[in-house]
Formats: sequence, structure tokens, C-alpha cells
Amino acid sequence: MRDDRSIDPLLPNSAEPAPAVFFDGVTNRKRHVALRFGNDLEIIEKGEGIATWPYPNLRHADGPPDAMRLSCISSLPLARLEIRDPATKREIFARSSSLVAHHGQRRTHTGRIVLWSLAALASISAVTYYGVPLAAARLAPLVPYSFERRVGEMADNQVKAVFGGKVCAAAGGRAAYAKMVETLRRAGNLQIPLQTEILNSAVPNAFALPGGKVYLFEGLLRRAENPDELAGVLAHELGHVIHRDHMRILIQNGGTSFLVGLLFGDVTGAGAVIFATRSLLEASYTRGAETDADAFAIDVMHKLGRSPKPMGELLFRITGAQADKSIGILASHPMTEDRLAMMTREDRPSTGPEILTAREWQALKAICR
Amino acid sequence: MNDVMEQVPPAAAVASRSVRVAFVGARPEFRRLVVRGSVLELFTAGFYRFWLATDMRRHLWSHTLVEGDAPEYTGNAKELLIGFLFALAILVPIYLVYFLIGIEAERLQAFASIPLFLFFYAFGQFAIYRARRYRATRTVWRGVRLWMTGSGWDYSWRACLWSLLVILSLGLALPWREAALERFKMRHTHYGDIDGRFEGTGWELFKRGWWLWLLSWFVVTLPFTYPLYKSITWKWWVNGIRVGAVRAESDLRLAGLMGLYWAVIGWVMVFIIIDGALIGIVATAAAFAVGGGKANYAALAQFARDHSYMLFAANVANYLLVALASGAVMRIYLLRGLWQRVATSVSVHHLEAADSILARGDTVSALGEGFANSFDIVGF
Repeated sequence: MRDDRSIDPLLPNSAEPAPAVFFDGVTNRKRHVALRFGNDLEIIEKGEGIATWPYPNLRHADGPPDAMRLSCISSLPLARLEIRDPATKREIFARSSSLVAHHGQRRTHTGRIVLWSLAALASISAVTYYGVPLAAARLAPLVPYSFERRVGEMADNQVKAVFGGKVCAAAGGRAAYAKMVETLRRAGNLQIPLQTEILNSAVPNAFALPGGKVYLFEGLLRRAENPDELAGVLAHELGHVIHRDHMRILIQNGGTSFLVGLLFGDVTGAGAVIFATRSLLEASYTRGAETDADAFAIDVMHKLGRSPKPMGELLFRITGAQADKSIGILASHPMTEDRLAMMTREDRPSTGPEILTAREWQALKAICR
Repeated sequence: MNDVMEQVPPAAAVASRSVRVAFVGARPEFRRLVVRGSVLELFTAGFYRFWLATDMRRHLWSHTLVEGDAPEYTGNAKELLIGFLFALAILVPIYLVYFLIGIEAERLQAFASIPLFLFFYAFGQFAIYRARRYRATRTVWRGVRLWMTGSGWDYSWRACLWSLLVILSLGLALPWREAALERFKMRHTHYGDIDGRFEGTGWELFKRGWWLWLLSWFVVTLPFTYPLYKSITWKWWVNGIRVGAVRAESDLRLAGLMGLYWAVIGWVMVFIIIDGALIGIVATAAAFAVGGGKANYAALAQFARDHSYMLFAANVANYLLVALASGAVMRIYLLRGLWQRVATSVSVHHLEAADSILARGDTVSALGEGFANSFDIVGF
């Protein structure tokens, strides 16, 4: 091999032309050329030198399996030299240390990619888990109330479209309901105006919309057995309003979607993994908000000198025990049995007046008739 | 061959050359590449996808021979990563504006914001066009690159209007949509100083595939009709391609792609069965473990409920494994397999018309691929 190199094996115009093919990067003409191994690699066509490539400037380019395809960093970017003859390939390797050194130039540094990806993963996870809730808690109070009300009106239109929007408004019932809401509002020290209505729907539920609108469904009213049960649930919804939970969760979910999308490469969030991760994080955010709203409701009931335990009983009557049915970490609310247990712990003998008289309670129960 | 041609007097017409495209890639090599890439995707939380996509393209491009010469894919993964990050940066304000407009629309009328979804469809079409443009400019054959002109938004509004027509015609307009969009794409595709065009017509595609339209109304027939539809459109597409005077022809059989799709279905079923069996074995073993000598499934269920984080993590891990395995199989059959079957069905005629082509055109950024990636609509 060493001896071979001292004799130029590929003389131009020799009987056996060098089996190299040259593309000059200007046209796509396939030029059959000879190679001369001088101080530089000389490319010769029909006895004439057409290009000179210095050995240190040679680089590998992707080629078919049987060919060695070279480019040259001091030549046109798409000029290519293709060598199929094994002896010529060896010859070039022996002369160009850059080819050996850059052998892996187009190969990837897998270890580095893994390392940086894990660093990105750690950083994004930390921001999602700690940063986003923190930012949302700081930003939510800064969102103008008028904006929150606009979001609320949007949600309100959707609620009315889905649930039919039939408001129950029997006169006696309305007066009783207004009294209960006003009592709670004062006890909870809620500054913003509160609109609340009872919708004629059999679904046993109540919820607050952004901007302070609270809906109670007749299904829940029907299942309630005394005013304290209902008052507790309404106080819980006031808790959401006063904590501005909607804005907080809106910001949190937006941030989470974006960051998780950044990680997995789908900002729209269609993929199953993204969906699972998001559901998990969002559920944990809302569970936190629900627990806080429960604490607010307990506080309000205590201020009124009433027990929060009936609220837990009402919830338990509606959902039953949940631990056997659902996966805790995916649930949007804490388990009802845990909520009941907490409210039972906070149970105190009543010291304050009844929130509604028996007559008012009867009127409220009949509000949809 | 060159020597023979040099002896022909210049005045005589140059001999017409027809060649068959060959594919010389070995499946084990591609399989290793995909399996390794899928495992790395898992360990890099998906970031490896840019490198895997690049490696797969490099493999496919460099093992396809047109008259003995393989094209070269000159793109690299860092470009794709940067394109993706830029796309995200551009999409953030767009999402915010989308959100605010959505709120205003909903205030006026419930669910009025749904049509805004169309904006993202249009954006997706724009991304598809720009991504194709990126791939074209990274494709080099005989030292001269493919390149593309044309505006992504021009393509996008055409695609949207055609999609609307397809919906209104219950799918019957699909062949004409395909033909119109292909004409647009090929009209703006160039190889050096010669221009591409597309001569396939919607009517031709309709004649070949109308009966599939009838069959596709039943969901159970889709695993059969879809591979047929794909082989018909691929063949029609290849036959319509012109680059200067060069034209392509495919003899892909009607059922030519059926085996690939059914291989994927078969493998995914195998994975699900193996997975089910493994879960059964693990559950039984765990039931023995918590039951102390005899299987106690009630105790196991209680244990799982008490440790829901563990259950969730196990589910996610299990899902990821099955999804990765299925993804690898899809890449092996529907990417490499399909590429091989379509490429080797192609004959290229009048190749002499592409003999002394002058290099033209320049590369474009990978931003389009970045958008496509963030919408999950990446092609080859």
C-alpha cells in the first residue's frame, strides 16, 4: 500500500481511466474523469485538469451504498465526486485525514442529543409544574374584570345553548333565593356583583362562570333536604368567583398546552400522550381550586354560625362513594368521601339563625313549578 | 453508453433513453435505523424525531437509483429543530389572537368560534406546501438541486376551496382536487433550469377510482379500499409527472400496496395481543404477591386504587411502548415499503432531455416543516 502510493497509479491518459465520476455543480452532466494524486487531488477530463480539490477540504456526502461520494468545502456546494473503485477509495482515505476525522460529520452525536433533550424535558417539566401555577396565580388578579366578564358572557351563551336556558322564576322562590345569596355574599365579603339563576334542568349540579355568574340546576335543588346543604354548595361556587379561579385555570391550561406541545411537537394537542399529560396536569390544577373553594365554603358557613357538614352530605347523596369508580389523579374534583370527611371534621353546633325559614325553603323548592 | 453517443454525428437526433428506477436499500438496515430512532425518541421526549426523520430521508434518497445515480438528501436535523422552534414562536401570538377573537365571536352567538378552526386548516395547507418546498430544495441529483417557487398561501386558499367542494359533493370532487393541487405543486417545481408540470387529470383519476367511492361508505371496507385508493393515486400521480420533456410512468398494480397496509394491521394486532398477554401475566403475578400465595384480585384492585399514580404511570408506559412499536412498524412498511414499491414501479422516459441541465434555485428554510411538525402533518 505504501509502495503503491509512491507510484502514481492513475496517470491521465492511461490505458485504464480512473473510475471516477464528477459532477461540477454547475450542470448535471455526468463527467467521467481521472484522478491524479498530486499535492492536491486533481480531477482530469480527457487529459485536461478541470478541478483541484485540496485533501483537507474533502468531505463525505450521502451516496449510494457502493459509491464513495465526496464534496469539497472550497468548491461549489453541490459539486460531487463519486468513486466506486476500492483501490481509489483507499488511496483517498490514506491522503485525506479530514475524511477520517469527519467520517462522522453527517453522523449524529446521539449522546449530546439525549443529554440536551433531557435537560429540556427537566426544564419544561419544572416550568409546567411550578412556574405555570405560580404565574397564573400572579397574573389572574391582573386580568381586567371587564375581560373576565366577556369570557363569562361567552360561556353563558354556550350554557344557555346546551341546557335550554329556561330560568325558574316563581316569585316566592326568587325572593328566598335572593335572600340566601345575599346572606352568603355578605358573609363571604364578595365585592363584585353577583348574578345567579336557577335553570330548569334535571342535572344535579351548580357552577360558577367567569365574571361571577353562578348557575344552580333544579336537579340539585330537588335533591337538597335543607337550606344549609344548598347554602354550602352556593358558598363553594362563590369561592370560585372570589378566587378568580377561571382566569387562573384559563392561564394555566393555556400555558400547559403550549409547553407540553413544545415538548412533544404538537401544539394543537391532538396526540394521545399530550392529551394524557394535559388531562393529568389540568386535573391537578382544578383539584387544587376545588379544595380551596371548599375551604372558603366552610369558612363562610362558620361565619354564619352554620355547619358545613350538610353540604358534604348533599354531595355524597348525589355522587356516592367515588374511590371505587374513578382514578383519583384524573378527577377534576377531590373524592366526595374525602370532602365529606373534611366537612364532618369542621362540623360545629349551629349558633347562627336559620338561613331560610321553613316557609321560604318551601317556596325555593317550588321555584320551577 | 457515453462513448457510443459521442460517435454519433451531432446533427442526428439524440437517442431516447428510458430507465427503470431501482431501490437498493436493505430492509434490515432501515429497520435498525427506525428501531434505534424510536427508542431514542422515547429517551429524548420526542426531540429525536428531527434526527430520525432526517436519517430516514437520507436512507431513502441515497438508495434510490435513477439511471445508476442516487439523489442526495442535503437537509439536516438542526435545520428542522430550528424551523420548529421558529414556528412555535410565530404560533404563540396567533393562538392568542385566535383565542381573543373566539371569545368575541362566542359572545355574539354560542359556538360561533367554530369556523375559526378553518383558519388552522388553511394554515396547515400552507405548512404542507412549505414543507414540500423544503424537502425539494434539499434534494440533489447529479449535482443539481430541485427547487420550488409559488406562494404557500396561494396553495392554501386553493386547497381550502377544493376541500369545500369535496365536502359539498360528498367526496366526488376529490379527484379534481388532487389534480388541481398537483398541477399547482408541479408547475412550481423545477430541476435546475427545466420546469416541472403535471398532466394527470381529475377525470382520469375519477375513471380509475369511482367504484372506491361507492365502497368507502362502509367503515369495514376501509382497510381494503384505502390501500387500493393509495395505489391508484400513486400510479396516476407518477404517470402525470413531467419535468421538461422527461416523463415518468408507473406499472404499480392495483393491489400493489395492499400487503403493506395489512402487514401494519397484522403487526399492530400482534403487539396488542402480546401486550394483553403480558399484562395478564403481570397482573396474575401481582395478585399472587398481594394475596400471599394465592391470587387475590380484589386485593390487587384495592392496591391499584390506593396507588393510582403507579397505575397511571404503568398505563402511560404501556401505551408508549405499544405506540412506539406500532410507529416503527408503520415507518418500516408505510414509509420504506411504500417508497420502495412505488419507486421501483417507475420508468423514466426521455431522460436524454435532462442531460445538460444548468443549476438554478436556492435552498429555503425549514420553517414550513416546523409548522407542519407543530400541526402533526409531516409527510415523507
